[in-house]
Amino acid sequence: MIAAPRWALGVIVVAGIAAAIALQVHRDTSYPEVASPVEELYFTSGDSIGRLALSFKPMLADIYWIRAVQYFGSTRLDAKGAAESGTESTSHYDLLYPLLDVTTTLDPHFNIAYRFGAIFLAEGYPSGPGRPNLALKLLDKGFAVNPTKWQYLYDKAFVAYWSLKDYQAAAHWFSEAAKVKGAPPWMPGLAAFMLGQGGDRRSSRFLWQQILDTSEQQYMRDNATFHLTQLDMADVADQLTALLQRYRAQTGQSVMDFSPLVRAGWLRAVPADPEGVPFLIDPQTGRATLHRPSRYAPLPDEQPGAAAGPR
Amino acid sequence: MTPAIDVEDLTKDYKVGFWRPRPYRALDRLTLQVQPGEVFGFLGPNGAGKTTTLKLLMQLVFPTAGRASILGRPVGDLGVRQRIGYLPENPYFYDNLTAEELLEYFASLFGYSRSDCQARASRLLDEVGLGAERRMQLRKYSKGMVQRVGIAQSLLNDPEVLFLDEPMSGLDPLGRRDIRELILRLRERGTTIFFSSHILSDAETLCSRVAIVAGGRLATVGTLRDMSGFEVRGWEVVMTGVASTVLATLASRGVKATTVADGRYTFDLPKDASAEAFVAEMHAGGARLVSVAPVHTTLEEIFVQQVHKAGSAREGAL
Amino acid sequence: MSPKSLGRIALAVFRESVRERVLYNLVGFALLVIGASYLIGQMTAGQDVKIIKDLGLSAMAIFGLFIAIFIGIGLVSKEIERRSIYSLLAKPVRRSELVVGKFLGLALTVAINLAVMTVVWYGVLAYMSWSEIDLVKKGWEAPAADPRLLVAVYLLFVQLVLVIALALFFSTFAEPLWATVFTFGLYVAGHFSADLKHFDVIVGDSPVRYVTTGLYYLLPNMATFDVKNAVVHAQLVPYGYVLTATAYGAFYSLALVAAAVLIFSKKDFK
Repeated sequence: MIAAPRWALGVIVVAGIAAAIALQVHRDTSYPEVASPVEELYFTSGDSIGRLALSFKPMLADIYWIRAVQYFGSTRLDAKGAAESGTESTSHYDLLYPLLDVTTTLDPHFNIAYRFGAIFLAEGYPSGPGRPNLALKLLDKGFAVNPTKWQYLYDKAFVAYWSLKDYQAAAHWFSEAAKVKGAPPWMPGLAAFMLGQGGDRRSSRFLWQQILDTSEQQYMRDNATFHLTQLDMADVADQLTALLQRYRAQTGQSVMDFSPLVRAGWLRAVPADPEGVPFLIDPQTGRATLHRPSRYAPLPDEQPGAAAGPR
Repeated sequence: MTPAIDVEDLTKDYKVGFWRPRPYRALDRLTLQVQPGEVFGFLGPNGAGKTTTLKLLMQLVFPTAGRASILGRPVGDLGVRQRIGYLPENPYFYDNLTAEELLEYFASLFGYSRSDCQARASRLLDEVGLGAERRMQLRKYSKGMVQRVGIAQSLLNDPEVLFLDEPMSGLDPLGRRDIRELILRLRERGTTIFFSSHILSDAETLCSRVAIVAGGRLATVGTLRDMSGFEVRGWEVVMTGVASTVLATLASRGVKATTVADGRYTFDLPKDASAEAFVAEMHAGGARLVSVAPVHTTLEEIFVQQVHKAGSAREGAL
Repeated sequence: MSPKSLGRIALAVFRESVRERVLYNLVGFALLVIGASYLIGQMTAGQDVKIIKDLGLSAMAIFGLFIAIFIGIGLVSKEIERRSIYSLLAKPVRRSELVVGKFLGLALTVAINLAVMTVVWYGVLAYMSWSEIDLVKKGWEAPAADPRLLVAVYLLFVQLVLVIALALFFSTFAEPLWATVFTFGLYVAGHFSADLKHFDVIVGDSPVRYVTTGLYYLLPNMATFDVKNAVVHAQLVPYGYVLTATAYGAFYSLALVAAAVLIFSKKDFK
């Protein structure tokens, strides 16, 4: 009845699928950029996708959310690799805002997309996109649809504080957030604090700690931990700088690194960041600091208005 | 001589039911043989297993047990299919093709040259009585027209054995007469014909032998005369010019007479009576003979009898 | 398996499908969209060529899909349901030849349809090229009637052949409605299968990850054949990629057709 015996056909079926899978693997490794579903953001308007997707909008929102997270992660890896090898990263997170925009258009109540977007869009260059204005735009969109979410205004204040170093604006948004029903009682106090102290490490620490304590997402908590550790490193750098000054005063020596202090018993070991990258002495300022390849470099400045890097 | 069709213990079980499928025996150990040149009638009520048998012979379904062969080769043999024809029950073809195109396409599958395909298609369309309609798409055909196309496609390769499943279905009396005559012509040519039907009158006129199946089992097989339950019950004699006095005499002897027309009567004689003697006696009285015929159990009576028997057997078995 | 039988069956399938009225409606619609894209292009300054290319390819993809599914199911599953296939099975043709012949005929039909749509599409693009002034044309990333666009059409064809193989496979055991649902469902799933690979971000280290990764590899990856964005922006699609994608489509289709032959050969036609 058939040209080939039945078992031969079975072999063909299995072999065919196996070959297909092998080819998929080959394609993924050899040609990751071609036909990559993220880069082909063919419809950039969430509305047109929404109309096409009809009742599957929430599911589609999930898919775009996953793509946004994956896109951010892989682009960040690219950026990190580029930083380590000293080259320019090819992607500038250009698609992050559109992806988040589509996600939140398809599902306007997609809470995490707004908050994630806010933090990571504002994340400074070169490890992040450094687009705080887009972060604000996304949060405005979120608050317009969800007027009970004081958290979005809080996030706006955070972006103003951390990325734009605009303490007046931060204070303004904190007090706006305080006006929303359900906002925590310490909000007005924070606003006042902002006006008074602005740029202080304590307030920064306070805000990051809030995120660490309230976030349900692991990567947001990790991000907050990172920033808190970075602040710790800034504290350590200050202490080391003070130590250096005392050493110079006492011995009259100007040192290039910390080994003399270790030899002299002033330090037990060469101070380093949690990953073991040692602190250095900046030749121009004479201050202790961390440089690349430390993850925590550059350390946050204390001075208000000082730029953290190019936008 | 190799039988044209040889079936031995052919059995087919179907699984019925979704959650716990139980076997349903559509055909139970069918055994029969059809000799070359026979016109064989395969009769039975609906659901008796007629179509199942035909499908098993055409290898549209696979047997659970038993075997069958056609022209000495096992069913499904590719070479044999070159020499047989098949008309399915309630056939349906391709809406968008014309009858001509369909026949030419089917003919091409036998490996004939293009001109040969066209010649065969044309000839057969003539033979089944499809004229200009042959260039219309099949979607526009009536049931009867489709049936004719079906018969035509079964004859494309001048088959040695022809399998027909309800060949008369959908045809008006004129159509049925045409097909009857076609079958007779094929019989003249020596084609073996195996056809299933539930129209007994066709079987009675056309078939040399019949088989009756009921409830998936073979009830009886053979020529009409050889069948169980067959008996001659008497004689029917038709005569004209019978004087009324003769009638009165016959009536007193217990011979029943029925008036057919003025002066023409039908006489029912019992089985053991001598028809010749009766005719001679009437002839002497001035009457003239029109016809003498045996009265026997009809196929229908045998059919009903067998089906009943099978039905009660099945019930008893359940 | 004799090539002559295959050829005859394939041609019969082609002829049967070419007469399908729905087919003409679908192709007509596609041509309408391609023509309309020219008008739409006129309304958006500068982006017109890109829009025609985009819309044209999308129209061909969508309508090509409908055609593939419609004739794929109609010419096999419906045929089995309506029993038109009985008389065909009684002819001296192997069941395997029937299945493969049908497949080839369907592939031929899709190829011809795509060719027709491509010709019209290129016609529109060529007209654009001819009618537009040089200044505007300098701003285009790529020429209007860019021959590199053919790569996208070719890969679309490979994708549709895979869809046909799917439709054929499901037709061997499912009724027309279900066969359509399964085929279309797998097509949609295949487009998002790439996202399955990245599910580990959401799912973490749980064993669900193995399921999603396994599904990613097992499901037919339809997004592989979608190089619309690349060709529209005149980015080069490497030959190796085209080869890999073709081989992927070929092997997967081969597996599906072999499976269809397996099922069809032992099928009881009740």
